[in-house]
Amino acid sequence: MIDEGRTAPTFALNDQFSRKVSLEDFRDRQHVLLVFYPLDWTPT
Amino acid sequence: MEALLPRFRAAHTQVLGVSIDSIHCHANWARDLGGISFPLLSDFEPKGAMADSMGAYLSGAGITDRATVLIDSGGTVRHASSVGPAGERDIAELAALCESVDSTAGTPTQDAPTPKGLGKDAVLYVKKPCGFSRRVRVAVDNLHETGLEIRNVSEDASALAALKAATGSETAPCLVLDGKPVLEADQIVRTLAERLAPIG
Repeated sequence: MIDEGRTAPTFALNDQFSRKVSLEDFRDRQHVLLVFYPLDWTPT
Repeated sequence: MEALLPRFRAAHTQVLGVSIDSIHCHANWARDLGGISFPLLSDFEPKGAMADSMGAYLSGAGITDRATVLIDSGGTVRHASSVGPAGERDIAELAALCESVDSTAGTPTQDAPTPKGLGKDAVLYVKKPCGFSRRVRVAVDNLHETGLEIRNVSEDASALAALKAATGSETAPCLVLDGKPVLEADQIVRTLAERLAPIG
């Protein structure tokens, strides 16, 4: 896992609503909780 | 997770789900779960690259770990953990973690966007059978939008006439919003999400 205290690497990925979502979108606006899970159709 | 969203929002935290599945797989699975309005990101191409950058990709298995990473509004990683692919996350514990980081790392300096809504005159025209219309309806369900009028132009001649009168064309799916047509499934889905569950 990434080390706590580090600057997070940036990303830009598409979501289920066809939006490009980037870490930069949230800068100074919201904290971001990344919830990784193995595959769709398995429990979140 | 969806049920606790107000608590995360109050802690100035945006939840983002991430797996290696496609956006279409995400959308259908999310609806099957009762609707997911927070973004599910597709770490699809190159597969798992974003998860890998956070140390959350299981390269041997080709899937993401059941990991959780909290990044504060300044961009610093405040928490990173994993319960393993077969483990179970404690969502209430994660909400408490976000509340704690919000109070110690500092509340963001700018406001998050608030949903504008669609307005009472919005109408979604769909046809059947049509994969694009289906995609738009899945998005409506994921956004828990129950107030939007949906009219099927394949089964209802008056709906087809209304679509033609509003847009000058019989092209569906079509979202008429603030009196203007929005065409193309991707554009309609993006517009619905921006009005009902904006990000940033």
